[in-house]
Amino acid sequence: MMDVEDVLNDVVSMDDLKKFENEYHKQLATGTVSQETKFHYAWCLVRSNYPADIRKGLILMEQLIKHEANDDDAKRNYLYYLALGNSRIKEYSTALQFIKAFLHMQPENMQAQNLLNTIQKKMEADAHKGMAVAGGLALGISAIVGIGFALAKSMKK
Amino acid sequence: MDPSVLTTLKILLIGQSGVGKSCLLYRFTDDTFNVDNAVTIGVDFKMRKITVDNNNIKLALWDTAGQERFRTLTPNYYRDGQGAVLVYDVSNRDSFTCLETWINELNMYSTKPNIIKMVVGNKIDQERRVSREEGIAFARRHQTLFIETSAKTKEGVHMAFEELVRKIINTPSLWEKPEDVNVVRCNNENSAPEQSYCSC
Repeated sequence: MMDVEDVLNDVVSMDDLKKFENEYHKQLATGTVSQETKFHYAWCLVRSNYPADIRKGLILMEQLIKHEANDDDAKRNYLYYLALGNSRIKEYSTALQFIKAFLHMQPENMQAQNLLNTIQKKMEADAHKGMAVAGGLALGISAIVGIGFALAKSMKK
Repeated sequence: MDPSVLTTLKILLIGQSGVGKSCLLYRFTDDTFNVDNAVTIGVDFKMRKITVDNNNIKLALWDTAGQERFRTLTPNYYRDGQGAVLVYDVSNRDSFTCLETWINELNMYSTKPNIIKMVVGNKIDQERRVSREEGIAFARRHQTLFIETSAKTKEGVHMAFEELVRKIINTPSLWEKPEDVNVVRCNNENSAPEQSYCSC
């Protein structure tokens, strides 16, 4: 809990996940799942520690936004969690599309801006990591080339 | 963790929809104010450093949605909270009346029995429907801190968080790690009285 740095570190408790999962499956067995139950379960899944859960949650959120977004409020909720879930599995560009769609509906929303900033920061950090890896690789290659040259030189002698 | 930081505290913002929890949060963290700020989705999160009595403290601020559709989802966030800001709107009597429900919910779900609570009457820039005295009486009855604020004019906002943090820091059992507690208890016996603060 203590090392939470941003909203992406917010992890669902196992109790909650179990509770809402049971409700969802109970309703599923009867043939009709209410929008609320589906949302609650999806909301738990996208905040899980397991990428497989998150992906499942994203599928549910996508179903919700396609078929059950009756009002703008509901639509915003789904967009927000689609952005959040995608960032939690490091699908940052997809996440960005969802949060931008949200901000298109409501440009002034500070919570969405907060999430947008978080996603952008993560993307930057990832890019730096990528650059560090590429840099390391370049250094390695030049070292090998250097050794090669040195060897070739010494062999000439 | 940054060695100059004494500790990280988990602070919750709780209260009816529309009382200005998010406005208080963003005034405190970013010094911004947005009149038509929309309802919070589930929960929002912000980090901020604050210095209280020469101690550097990191605050993890959890802003919970007051809206009915999130009611079953938010109590989970009360877990491990060391401080709670219970907000009502002084221009909306209903938001004050239902504060009782919010405080009960907090007592039910919070895992730290001596969590520090602060009642905040927000929107004092608007026409009042709840007097300061009533707010004070409520806070006294529930043994919480009390302050009135306006996220719009900034009045009281920083002071509210500072007071809350000060009170938490003065209650070491809330934030010291178990190994530290022993050390403190050996050197200094005044960590005991705070236990009596429990209001549940």
